[in-house]
Amino acid sequence: MSESYDFLFKFLVIGAAGTGKSCILHQFIESKFKQDSSHTIGVEFGSKVVNVGGKSVKLQIWDTAGQERFRSVTRSYYRGAAGALLVYDITSRETYNQLTNWLTDARTLASPNIVIILCGNKKDLDADREVTFLEASRFAQENEIMFLETSALTGENVEEAFLKCSRSILTKIESGELDPDRMGSGIQYGDASLRRITRQPQQQRNPHCTCG
Amino acid sequence: MSEIGKITRKMKKLKSLVALKDKLQQVGDEDRSPTSPDRPLYIYKEEEREFPNDPLADQEAIDSIEEVYYSDDSWDPSKHELQKLKDGPEKLSLEDIDKDRNRLRRQLAAVSKKVSELVLENHPAYAQELQRVMDLETALQGANVICINGRRHLEIAKQGFTTASLGLLANQRKRSQLLGLMNSLRTIKTLQRTDVRLREMLEEEDYPGAIQLCLECQKAASIFRHYSCISDLSSKLQDTLEMIEEQLDVALSKTCNSFDAAHYEKVQTAYRLLGKTQTAMDQLHMHYASAIHNTAFQIVLGYVELCSGTGDTNFQKMQYKDLCTHIITESYIPCLMDLCKALWGVMNSYHKTMQWHELHDSTNQEAAEADATSSINIEATFNQRYVKQKLEHGLARIWQDVQQKVKLYLLGTDLSVFKFDDFLHVLDLVNKLMLIGEEFCNSKSEGLQDSIRKQSINYFKNYHRSRMDELRMFLENEAWELCPVKSNFTILNLQEFKFLRRSGLVKLKLSSTMSSPQSSPAKLADTRDRPADTRDAPQGFFIRYGNHGNPFDVHQDEDDGEDVMATNGYDDEEKEQNAYADDDSDDSDVPEELKQDFVDEKTGEAPVRRDSKKKYDKSRKFNNAPILTNTTLNVLRLFGKYMQMMNVLKPIAFDVVICMSQLFDYYLFSVYSFFATDLDMSAAADWGLSNKLKTTLKRINDNLILPEVYFFYVSPVQDKVPFPHVSPVVDLTGNQNLYGLAERVVATESLVFLAEQFEFLQPQLESVIPPAKKAFLQQFYSQTISTASELRRPVYRVVAAKSVVYDHILQLMANVKWDIKDIMSQHSSYVDVLLRELQVFSNKLDQVGRHVPIPQPVYNVLWEHCIRLANRTFVEGFASAKKCSNEGRALMQLDFQQFLMKLEKLTDLRPIPDREFVEVYVKAYYLTDADMERWIRDHREYSTKQLTGLVTCGVGSHINKKARQRLLATIEDMEKLKR
Repeated sequence: MSESYDFLFKFLVIGAAGTGKSCILHQFIESKFKQDSSHTIGVEFGSKVVNVGGKSVKLQIWDTAGQERFRSVTRSYYRGAAGALLVYDITSRETYNQLTNWLTDARTLASPNIVIILCGNKKDLDADREVTFLEASRFAQENEIMFLETSALTGENVEEAFLKCSRSILTKIESGELDPDRMGSGIQYGDASLRRITRQPQQQRNPHCTCG
Repeated sequence: MSEIGKITRKMKKLKSLVALKDKLQQVGDEDRSPTSPDRPLYIYKEEEREFPNDPLADQEAIDSIEEVYYSDDSWDPSKHELQKLKDGPEKLSLEDIDKDRNRLRRQLAAVSKKVSELVLENHPAYAQELQRVMDLETALQGANVICINGRRHLEIAKQGFTTASLGLLANQRKRSQLLGLMNSLRTIKTLQRTDVRLREMLEEEDYPGAIQLCLECQKAASIFRHYSCISDLSSKLQDTLEMIEEQLDVALSKTCNSFDAAHYEKVQTAYRLLGKTQTAMDQLHMHYASAIHNTAFQIVLGYVELCSGTGDTNFQKMQYKDLCTHIITESYIPCLMDLCKALWGVMNSYHKTMQWHELHDSTNQEAAEADATSSINIEATFNQRYVKQKLEHGLARIWQDVQQKVKLYLLGTDLSVFKFDDFLHVLDLVNKLMLIGEEFCNSKSEGLQDSIRKQSINYFKNYHRSRMDELRMFLENEAWELCPVKSNFTILNLQEFKFLRRSGLVKLKLSSTMSSPQSSPAKLADTRDRPADTRDAPQGFFIRYGNHGNPFDVHQDEDDGEDVMATNGYDDEEKEQNAYADDDSDDSDVPEELKQDFVDEKTGEAPVRRDSKKKYDKSRKFNNAPILTNTTLNVLRLFGKYMQMMNVLKPIAFDVVICMSQLFDYYLFSVYSFFATDLDMSAAADWGLSNKLKTTLKRINDNLILPEVYFFYVSPVQDKVPFPHVSPVVDLTGNQNLYGLAERVVATESLVFLAEQFEFLQPQLESVIPPAKKAFLQQFYSQTISTASELRRPVYRVVAAKSVVYDHILQLMANVKWDIKDIMSQHSSYVDVLLRELQVFSNKLDQVGRHVPIPQPVYNVLWEHCIRLANRTFVEGFASAKKCSNEGRALMQLDFQQFLMKLEKLTDLRPIPDREFVEVYVKAYYLTDADMERWIRDHREYSTKQLTGLVTCGVGSHINKKARQRLLATIEDMEKLKR
């Protein structure tokens, strides 16, 4: 039974290796921390229907490998993403330093309009923090992206990150800034709205379908 | 006393004697009185001596006394005499009278004398006697006094002694009676108090004691039946006994949930005392039945109420079946777990009950055998046999009940929305339950199997549907980029196949050949668990968890490490990283792998060593690693997950295998439709697709692919997936990248890799499906899996056909004059053009090869296609020659030789395919018309046009017009035949 939804957003989770992208996704979908996670190979996938501002939105999330050797594989999934979680590790300045590259990649490969939220993950390891909230917050402001500090371990802000990003996309759709009908927007109308739109022809064709 | 009596008698005699004397006196008086009343007595005294004192005479006189005088006192002598007179003669004679009177007087005198004599004679004796009488009288008086005193004393004694003592005696008697009564009363009191004691004993659960006591009390009570208070008591005792029985029943029912040997023994002993061993067994079974129901109901009810929030609905009154439908998804597993645990508890209790009876009865048996004759023992053994039979029959019933409860629960909820590992968890629980069931009563657990099957199919269908959708998404997003993995990567490196890695393939094969798929639930055990299970099998659940713990508790601890979805532990991570990672840093192992690289393991073909250094670079870079994509990995992971499902879901293993085949089908179909259909099919259509591949593709298209038209309108329930569309990022049109050769290679080779992995799994798959279905699998392998590599041909043909513009060559060839008169020493220029094109192709191929490894078979197929196409172009070009001379024919041979010579430097491919196709065609020109005809009939690989060309261009040199006509007719016939 495929669930009905109003919109389908294609999402990306990107960022340097070992920042906890897969764990964030796992936490978001299973509401559990993935204990002994290994490096992602290529791309993994997860989907979840969330409720954003009264609309049900199916998130189709591509969790990409952070390791450099998978870049060529992962890049191909950037195309037509509506939103992205750009993840770094607050306990690793190295991962923070790479953000600009990831951001450029996302904007060039996906779409310039892609809605990105910066996630400073591993918030629970505050003692080992190497990147301050303020610093990252400033980076986000300069690059006009949203920002949250998350913890895939505790689940703090994980769902919020996805919701915040989705909400922003939805606002942009409503304001006309994003056009779901444009190719490669990463947004599709879900079954529910589809049915609304195509009700007329559907009814006419119905007899055919039943025999098909 | 006797003395007194004697005296009294004497006195009486005396008195009579005195009276006699008086009488005598009286008589004397009377005698005289009638006759002479006026005469005094003393007259006779004067005449005293009237008669002589003669004793004899006196005696005579006395003797003459009429007898009658001696009669009674009342007799009147006077009257008598008078009477005599009266009766005598009428005439009274005085004389007679006087004579009589004298006789009488004489007699009187004699008597008197006699009397007086006697008196005198007896007087001293009389006096003496009188004296004695007097003495006696005195003595009597004394005695009398004594008597009076005695009597008085006796009276006193009677007063003072006898009454008291009698009273005493009476009291004594009373006392002893009362003592008896008191005892009775005490007993009664005790009896009454036993009631309290009985209650205490019941509280202490000492039922046999209580019953014994109660029975004793009853016996005692029956002795005291005559007391009115006892009747109450005994009725009360009866009540108590009934109460005990009730309590006993309750106690018996308690054993259902938690068996305790001591407790049970008490209960059993109690029932035996009651003589109700058999009834107890019947009751026990009833209790088990209700325990199962109640336990299940309470647990489910608890969860339902916990989650329902508002108490609007009265769940209490619901049927268990309906109640099960109210369980919410979140509480489904915990509830099932609790249900299993509780039901395990009940079953364990039952099992222990049986054990107890076995143990207990066997000891009894021995005792019974010792003296088998007594009737008690016969009854006991009879009871034992009854109990044993009952318990054995009960096993199946109880398991049936348990199954029913779990089954209803299982089917109550639609599990299709469950997460995979949650569902696996459910299956694990049920499988464990089935194992327990088998151990419990050798049951095949049809009920559970059935429900599990239903739920599994439902779940799996749903799961598969979304996986297929996901696969479509993956395919449509796939850029067909090479996903870097290590050269020795196999599916066993994937987490999802850890279970194969762990159990070891050999072991799995062994165990799987031993177990037919649907044989027994024991073999349903997850393969992962098998080593553990076999280790523990001789023990069984009831031994392992009989006394402590619960098989459903340990689940987590046991299986967590092996959980499907659980990610790998540290060392596994290492392994896996090594498998995937092929870091640039580990160059150290490159040389070794280089050496191996040249042996193509797939074809076994010894590759020809080329002097080109590029090959080295290529090998260096790719290490002969398998070519696969992200989507391939995804499919492989799904294979793993599906196989895990099979392991826990043997009953639907075949459905899972079919679904696995669908994953492969869809992948194959996608690769085909993405990469093999972008060529005008009219061109050289005859050597692209094999018939097998065509059939396979048609099958997939018919069975799996949703027709485009219905894309939006068909309900998603259908088991078909929409037609896949290649991701827009894939460019298949650029000449520079050889029309997406890299992507085609990655796609096709990943498919081949997938097929290889699928083949690798064949033994596993075969081992889990029913033998009857093996044919399907084998057919799938032979029809579909094996065609994967055949897909190379249509896919690479597109590249080969597009990369070289053969039509251009054909045009160039049309301009060549073949009716030359001189032998040419220089080949035609079109050959150079063709070779240049092929050189460009080769360069581009190398270029692509730097990005993507091009395996030898691919390389071969590509070149084969190019060469075949080139050779076809040759023949086509030669056939289009209107006129041809022998010298022209020689030029053709020269051109082709030149081509071959140069070509052999370009490619490793040997032998050059279709070389004869060209050579034979060229040489056929020289045949005589008769030979030609046979040749035409024998060589159907050439088209009508080519054959016609052959015949036409020969006319004028060695074939006359007549022969030409005949040959053309032959060709026409063949053409007709072809149609």
